[in-house]
Amino acid sequence: MTDPVSTADGTAAKGQTRRDCLKTAALAGAAFAVPTIVPASALGRDGAVAPSERITMAGVGLGPRGQFVFDWMAVEPDVRFVAIADVQKSRREEVKARIDKKNGDQDCKTYADFEEMLATRPDIDAVLIATGDRWHAQAAIRAMRLGKDVYSEKPSSMTVAEGRAVVDAAKRYGRIYQTGTQRLSEGPFRTIIELARSGKLGKVHTVRAHIAPWDSADLSHAWLPEEPQPPQDEVNWDAWLGGCPWRPFNSGYIKGGWRGHYDFHTSCIGEWGAHTFAQGQAGIDALDTSAIEYSYVKNVSGDGMETAFASGVKMILQREGWRGSCGMTFEGDEGSASCADGYEKPDVSSPALMAEGEKLLAEYVEKTGRPMNHVRDFFDCVKSRRWTVANPEVMHRTMTTVHAANVCMWLKRDVHFDPVREEFVGDAEANRFLTRAQRAPWII
Amino acid sequence: MKTQAAVLAGAALLAASSTALAQKASQSAGNRKRQGQDELIEVLKKEDSPRKARVDALRVLAQVGDRACVPVVAPLLRDEELADMARYAVEPIPDPAVDEALRAVVAEAQGRPLVGAIASLGVRRDVKAVPALAAKLADADAQVAVAAAKSLGCIGTAAAAQALRDALPKTTGVAQAAVVEGLFRAAESLAALGQRPAAAEVYETLAKAAPLACAKDVAAKRAESLRKA
Repeated sequence: MTDPVSTADGTAAKGQTRRDCLKTAALAGAAFAVPTIVPASALGRDGAVAPSERITMAGVGLGPRGQFVFDWMAVEPDVRFVAIADVQKSRREEVKARIDKKNGDQDCKTYADFEEMLATRPDIDAVLIATGDRWHAQAAIRAMRLGKDVYSEKPSSMTVAEGRAVVDAAKRYGRIYQTGTQRLSEGPFRTIIELARSGKLGKVHTVRAHIAPWDSADLSHAWLPEEPQPPQDEVNWDAWLGGCPWRPFNSGYIKGGWRGHYDFHTSCIGEWGAHTFAQGQAGIDALDTSAIEYSYVKNVSGDGMETAFASGVKMILQREGWRGSCGMTFEGDEGSASCADGYEKPDVSSPALMAEGEKLLAEYVEKTGRPMNHVRDFFDCVKSRRWTVANPEVMHRTMTTVHAANVCMWLKRDVHFDPVREEFVGDAEANRFLTRAQRAPWII
Repeated sequence: MKTQAAVLAGAALLAASSTALAQKASQSAGNRKRQGQDELIEVLKKEDSPRKARVDALRVLAQVGDRACVPVVAPLLRDEELADMARYAVEPIPDPAVDEALRAVVAEAQGRPLVGAIASLGVRRDVKAVPALAAKLADADAQVAVAAAKSLGCIGTAAAAQALRDALPKTTGVAQAAVVEGLFRAAESLAALGQRPAAAEVYETLAKAAPLACAKDVAAKRAESLRKA
């Protein structure tokens, strides 16, 4: 069977127009408000983008990172945010003020229940999801089922099964999805990816991928001390937890203290591996698969863990080795190339490679038509219906490598993964980590 | 594609060594079970065990539990406080005793324990649950109907698909969206089992009656593809 969109690199440019889903009535049938006085700019005059070309967005759970991405998106002339959903009242109001300031009006609507927002707002084309990690896939799947395109912060999933469910949702509903692994769309990182892919480094035998150096792979099951639960309108704790196991309220969680907890986080490996594994797998053309071998290392973080792909290429997890964050190195038998945040240009093993890299980057942009701007790539794809550079399949495969590496650390032994069957090989113990029962009623 | 060929080659290598790997992994799991399960069951049996201790025991049982823990965990599937963690513990245990326990909850419980049990039966693809789940499609509790639709889709038999097709025109709003989702899942399952005409029929139902144009369009393309194959 063929799907309208099915390739890992998003080259199958088929599907529907973004307005197709709006042709029929909204699921809940609620009309959306039309302002009595419509400014000329909203109608496409005064140099503004016409409504038919505008992408109408809503935010879901925009904390500091989400608001950063909102600012990034909001400068695009064909993008307009009209609503925010958040289980925290203070966040809803904070983001509404930000959106209203950008739009020059007071029209941004706020919602405590994001599914109500999606079901009753047929005018919304796409959502920006920047909740905590536990809600990324859950929210993305629900949004796509209701006909919305999705830009979601990383990581794209908490388990292998959840990642596959994101892919399924995008395919079933013909939706465009991009994960916020923005380094796939940044010049220096893309340059070393293309150097590796092109063979300019010779045969690539080793990839080195940065993992977060401040955290552990050994996640906590402890509960923070119980505090009085705020009124539901201020913080809907039940919804904040979503499908995760119940635990008593503590304000630390909602202030970012969810990191490091098994139920909410994908460890130091997922924290940066969501980025660096994607970059690494892009460089070795392994975006439609995952590593198959994972060698346990006796430390708390997975530093030095060696993984291997079916092609024989090794990917080694490292906490150090670069001058910035989310570093990436490709080593071939004819050269090497390395990059991290803050690098103006990649580190390469010979000056000639830099010139080759610049040429390859230009060729990549020309050939793919992808801008070196991750959010712009998303918006272009919303319009063209081509899959994004960080599409669901790409992110599922790279997050599968993250999840399998975590399982290796949790079981404290080597594990072997089959990317075709998407399960550990002959390993019932490890396979119990492929999914987690979701708390009712937050079940996808 | 180069990568796909490499994946297949790797998978073949893995299959060749899977017996040895399975033995090694099984020994490791066996050790953990012997060390842990009896103790965990005792925690659950003790009436004065604090909630956190019970939650922790159920969490570990999700990794090491087997049939022996089911009689102790089963009553907790109806417990308002612990039902979700009880499902967390038993959902991954590959034993029919778990399905029986979950079906008993569906027959008797209400609210979130019922929603959860329905969901777990879907994850476990329990074919015997189809009649009970089909009956829940018309439940007055929308969350129950939604869970039933998704689970019937996961189970994905012809009977499950028929129940969903019957429900599509009778539902609205979130319940109908869940039926659409269930029908996609069922059609994919039928196609994977080689039942292409049945899968195509399900997609054709979606192509005609799904509330979203994007779902209709994908379903129509998939139906066409199956009919041509």
